[in-house]
Amino acid sequence: MPHQCTSCGQVFDDGSKEMLSGCPDCGGNKFQFHASTEDVPEGPEPSAEPPDQPAPDSSVARTVGDAAATVRDLVGGSGRSQSADALDDDPSGQDTAPAGSVPSESAPAPDSPEDAAQADARSEVVSPDEIPAGTDTPPTDETPMTEDSATDPTSGSAPTDSPADASDPDTGEPSEDRPDLSELREELNDQFESIKVLSPGQYELNLMELYDREEYIIALQEDGRYTIQVPENWHD
Amino acid sequence: MGLITDIRDSISSLFSAQDPKRIGIYGPPNAGKTTLANRIARDWTGDAIGPESHIPHETRRARRKENVEIERNGKSVTIDVVDTPGVTTKVDYTEFLEHDMEKDDAVRRSREATEGVAEAMHWLREDVDGVLYVLDSTEDPFTQVNTMLVGIIESQDLPVLILANKTDLEGSNVRRIENAFPQHETLPLSALEGDNMDEVYDKIAEYFG
Repeated sequence: MPHQCTSCGQVFDDGSKEMLSGCPDCGGNKFQFHASTEDVPEGPEPSAEPPDQPAPDSSVARTVGDAAATVRDLVGGSGRSQSADALDDDPSGQDTAPAGSVPSESAPAPDSPEDAAQADARSEVVSPDEIPAGTDTPPTDETPMTEDSATDPTSGSAPTDSPADASDPDTGEPSEDRPDLSELREELNDQFESIKVLSPGQYELNLMELYDREEYIIALQEDGRYTIQVPENWHD
Repeated sequence: MGLITDIRDSISSLFSAQDPKRIGIYGPPNAGKTTLANRIARDWTGDAIGPESHIPHETRRARRKENVEIERNGKSVTIDVVDTPGVTTKVDYTEFLEHDMEKDDAVRRSREATEGVAEAMHWLREDVDGVLYVLDSTEDPFTQVNTMLVGIIESQDLPVLILANKTDLEGSNVRRIENAFPQHETLPLSALEGDNMDEVYDKIAEYFG
């Protein structure tokens, strides 16, 4: 039973056309695919795609997570020294319990001095060519994961810049339509930021990136800057 | 061997007595997380955890209720309940304007909600020992947020119970949630009405005890 309606459980044979306009019983438009013993060719109906998403989603998420980790490693040197200084200035000893932290504790952080790489990252948008692929050995002075500025004109227009093909959900078929590497980079680049400020009060969040970061974003400023709490072990 | 087993049992019971498991209540906005947290806290401690609201993102900071002692079958299980802000990939203040909110308040709520998501994700990274994943059973569970969060929880090897909430509402569809996460146990409940809470407590004791 290849296709099953996720709402009512109605089962459809592979290639069935009656499900193309939704489940005739309940009107549901999501179906899950049960792999049978024989090798079933890819169903032509777009409505069968959503249940297949988890795998591509998670692999993309992993890719993003890996890439984010790579970037974090790269920028770790400059970021850590600055963070360590910040911690030295604050003897209160922030631990890993977020409940105890309040935004006011770290409010001065955005005004603290920053090194050239961070300033550069704050003021300029990194071009896709400068972003390393997952395994490359890239230059170390780029910090594409830093925050986006609300006033940055490219932040609002970035999603529309990408070609229609790039956002097409056919990423579910990576083996056939494998996206061009530069497109993939661009897509990853779009997802790099933890929090994208589209305008004050409108945000897009990259959950994998938020989860993957060691530092913890505890306050957003109106201008798109973050206040973060850095982990205790950055002392070492 | 018997002696070693005894010692190990007593050590583990010692630890479980001293260190309650910290159970995070996760899920998308408006799934009923705070209603469930309040239900659990009121049932076993008499106190509530936080305000509930039909407006999304009412909970914008993680709230914790410590040492909630749940008694099941003559044994007691002590947990810390952490109610977390609803996790989402987009926060837009215009959504709050529909709820008779001024723009300034809506923008602030939006910013705080975004900070709340960051906090919830951070807690998931290192501060919870188990997860109650709450879903509104009248809503479609096949979403990117649900897939990603459950995937992260699985990658952490955290015990997780999927809770299909709001079974008191017309249009509740528990089967759809079971289908979405067949690898996990799904329990139907209405946190608002208190329906099926006995089974939920049984499973909490079994999973997190």
